[in-house]
Amino acid sequence: MTATAHRSAKTTTSTLMLKSDGRPPWYTPDGKNLPVYMVGIAGGSASGKTSVARRIVESLDVPWVVIISMDSFYRQLTPKESRQAFENNHDFDHPTSFDFATALRVLQDLKQGKATHVPQYDFTTHSPSKETQHVYGASVVIFEGIFALYDPTILQMMDVKIFVDTDSDICLARRIKRDVAERARDPLGVLQQYDRFVKPAYDGFVRPTMNNADVIIPRGLDNQVAIDLMIQHIKRQLDERTATIMRPVLVDRYCSSAGLRDTLVTLPQTNQVRAMQTILCDCSTLRDDFVFYSDRLSRLIIECGLGQLRLDKKTIETPTGLPYQGYELSSVVTGVTVLRAGGVMEKALRSVARLANYGKILIVGDPKTHEPRLHYAKLPPSIMQHRVLLMDPTIVSGANAMMAVRICVDHGVHEESIVFLSLLATPQGVHAIQTAFPKVKIVVALLDPHIAKDDLLIRSGYGLFGDRYFGTEC
Amino acid sequence: MSLSSQAAEHPRLHQLSQTNQLKALMTIIRDKNTKRGDFVFYSDRVIRLLVEEGLNYLPVNDKEVITPMGVPFQGVSFQGRICGVSIMRAGESMEQGLRDVCTSVRIGKVLIQRDERTAQPKLYYSKLPKDISDRWVLLLDPMLATGGSAMKCIEVLIEAGVKEDRILFINLICAPEGVLKMLEKFPSLHIITAEIDESMDAQKFILPGLGDFGDRYFGTED
Repeated sequence: MTATAHRSAKTTTSTLMLKSDGRPPWYTPDGKNLPVYMVGIAGGSASGKTSVARRIVESLDVPWVVIISMDSFYRQLTPKESRQAFENNHDFDHPTSFDFATALRVLQDLKQGKATHVPQYDFTTHSPSKETQHVYGASVVIFEGIFALYDPTILQMMDVKIFVDTDSDICLARRIKRDVAERARDPLGVLQQYDRFVKPAYDGFVRPTMNNADVIIPRGLDNQVAIDLMIQHIKRQLDERTATIMRPVLVDRYCSSAGLRDTLVTLPQTNQVRAMQTILCDCSTLRDDFVFYSDRLSRLIIECGLGQLRLDKKTIETPTGLPYQGYELSSVVTGVTVLRAGGVMEKALRSVARLANYGKILIVGDPKTHEPRLHYAKLPPSIMQHRVLLMDPTIVSGANAMMAVRICVDHGVHEESIVFLSLLATPQGVHAIQTAFPKVKIVVALLDPHIAKDDLLIRSGYGLFGDRYFGTEC
Repeated sequence: MSLSSQAAEHPRLHQLSQTNQLKALMTIIRDKNTKRGDFVFYSDRVIRLLVEEGLNYLPVNDKEVITPMGVPFQGVSFQGRICGVSIMRAGESMEQGLRDVCTSVRIGKVLIQRDERTAQPKLYYSKLPKDISDRWVLLLDPMLATGGSAMKCIEVLIEAGVKEDRILFINLICAPEGVLKMLEKFPSLHIITAEIDESMDAQKFILPGLGDFGDRYFGTED
């Protein structure tokens, strides 16, 4: 891409996240992430890489896919280079124009399923923009650009490598047409830049990466047969690595004799706690009472959960002039609620923690299999430095809880900084969380082993908590 | 054995679990530099914990219920019949904490002040629920120093027919002298508190204490 085209590149693709449906589990029952499927698409300028990438995405029917463009990784220019760039005199098609180290870091994060920040390039200033784009949750990552198949470490991460080999006459013709029509440039200038930068870079650096490709697609998007074959291949590979069905696996793995680890804290079973649990477990309790006692019990759970956080010693002076040796909470607390029911406990956290941050995760059961599916996750950007209280009123199979913990860990939160709060948990569910995430603390008000076996392991002693609280029972 | 530990080990004195978490809350409300908004917020938080703890000393009945899954659950139910009595004015700060957990609870009020001539606490006003003699009473006053007004109030309650063993005195901070005196005078009274301090000064302020609770809560300091 030449300097001017570079500057006015409206058609350049930056990061594109596509979501069509909830995301099924992307990790094993042991809580470990499966490697994300990666596709690399290289080819000359205007060869149709982006169109091929989009066609693949459209045909795959995978819920969360991200297309990362090489353009995001143009490196910071030196002052001299920057002047050249403004004079249309800098070679943006040379491999040294790219920050491969950052590209590698971003792709490695995505490969491991972690949340990451993709740089954004400001084509008006020829420099990386201060803003970055937060990307999380892709099951398939497509990396496209002229040097997508150039760096050996990046190549190793790719599950399939495609080179789009469009005839250079066609590429040049497209380029002239595009630059003249969309960028108000004269054909001669386009040709000059083509001669000077684009063509030498293609011959010297881009074309040789064809040897790294698994598949070469001649004629780009016009080659329907080659693209279809490619899509078939990718689909087959994706099917092979789909995560197993979670709920039954998690529940079946529990044997009561194994006992639970001491990361589980059960609220002292006082008269009041037992009486509140009795009201919540009673199928004849009216909604007014169900709401009132859920709220009241939530508050006790929150207090107990905050009590699990590390505190630092602090001495203060009282109004009588005497010292008092106390403690203070020096870390930032973030409450993360698993919607919809977790929102109930957020209210309780708000009433005790004034300066807490709040994150929200929406996990919905698949209508057929009841497998958890992630629909939405929004967490504070600095959450990796916070203590996190994860809240969901019930833990049944533990499948939703595991997904919620996994999301926090993917966002850089330390496992030992997470406290999971619940009003009622089954030992099976607690066991599932403890197996996958042995350092996460779990605070519950009641441990009750009953799980409804009839409908895919989502009901426990309270019935369906959210429906009873919000009044949406069938 | 110090007076504080004698008080702490008394079987009818119930302290909240002495967790670092509780200490962190007490650190905020005891700090002389704490602003009133924080003082009120964190006092309310401790009061809520105290009320929850106090209610645990009420009797419950065994109760079996059927869960939405059709399984029996062995639980308990509240016996009910409680009321609150606050000693004006500081005790009123604790009423909302009680209402938050027992909606529409009946609350009586008592005004007791020191008679300047006799230096004895004197009853100026009391308005109690009519059927108080049938009820358990949560007596609310945030600071227990000498226990003078609280003891006067308990006498008023007993005169109104309340049984002594049905009185739970709830406060945030107490001086050991006051605790021991009260528990001795009323042999079936229970006290629920957050922390026991060292002693009192000549003006009967608890040490290290937190100053005048009512003034700090209601914003009437000089």
